[in-house]
Amino acid sequence: MAAGPYNYSYIFKYIIIGDMGVGKSCLLHQFTEKKFMADCPHTIGVEFGTRIIEVAGQKIKLQIWDTAGQERFRAVTRSYYRGAAGALMVYDITTFIVRSTYNHLSSWLTDARNLTNPNTVIFLIGNKSDLEAQRDVTYEEAKQFADENGLMFLECSAKTGENVEEAFLDTAKKIYQNIQDGSLDLNAAESGVQHKPTTPRNTLSNDQPQSKDGCAC
Amino acid sequence: MEAIVQEVVKPEDLKKFEQRFNEQCLRGQPSATAQFEYAWCLVRSQSPSDLRKGTLLLQELFHKTADETAKRDYLFYLAVGHTRLKEYEKALKYAKAIQQVEPGNHQAREMTAYIEKKMKKEGLIGMAIVGGAAAVAFGALAGLGVALAKK
Repeated sequence: MAAGPYNYSYIFKYIIIGDMGVGKSCLLHQFTEKKFMADCPHTIGVEFGTRIIEVAGQKIKLQIWDTAGQERFRAVTRSYYRGAAGALMVYDITTFIVRSTYNHLSSWLTDARNLTNPNTVIFLIGNKSDLEAQRDVTYEEAKQFADENGLMFLECSAKTGENVEEAFLDTAKKIYQNIQDGSLDLNAAESGVQHKPTTPRNTLSNDQPQSKDGCAC
Repeated sequence: MEAIVQEVVKPEDLKKFEQRFNEQCLRGQPSATAQFEYAWCLVRSQSPSDLRKGTLLLQELFHKTADETAKRDYLFYLAVGHTRLKEYEKALKYAKAIQQVEPGNHQAREMTAYIEKKMKKEGLIGMAIVGGAAAVAFGALAGLGVALAKK
């Protein structure tokens, strides 16, 4: 598989945010490992995952920072928002704590808007869609919230995998579309996107430091 | 785990949380949150003295709290700090301690595996550098034999 310096043409940075226990890490795990992680403990700080996907024939590497929902981590995890091309904002469809879901989502959204750039694609995910019997947030009200705030939206299940691929891929498609139509400037600081042209020149410049390192002994 | 352990704090973040912590110290006892936030930034610094300070602040937090989840979080960043200081024995002790509190914790498991890999890798390189005929033998095992024979 060592055909070139990179086997992808772009890197997109994502963040996953939302309250504690809504299933952020399980979504990441389902997306990168295609497995459901049962009895997942609360995340310590941040987790990191990658996966290469394909959009419009282009290979794209997703670098995903999954943030802990615990309050203790909230202030420092905000620094991970900077330079995110995509933000997945997760809530749990089974917990509608007396209208606080809206308040919480608004607060996460305010953070995401304030700390990312105007082109960051924000995707609202209603997780645990497999627990239909315990549903407490209707599809319609969440959809309305998403529409009012200009967010993309899907209900997913990290357990069954339903719509998980779609959420991550649709976010990438939207980012890619923003690059194509020029609304996302790749040269802008903190666009959250890196372009990796696969030219032979890169192979050379990539190999040189490696061979130098090899001779250092 | 490499991405988590090797990630470097942004200087403006380190400064911001340092100021917050220092202001609280001036007013009296800093909150556990402010101390943790500052320590989490310090253990992601590139300066050994920052790393050292971060681990000391975390140790203090660890001894002061009775909250198991908080203890787990402090242990994790103690492991990060000591790994970055290349104090692998200590780092390993902290990473393994998390697994005692939370046996199924995959972050602790990955951290343990990462530190063990570092120890193995840097241990072998260390032996090769220490020199002499023994190093050639070990070097050959590590695939360095050809390079050394040419010299």
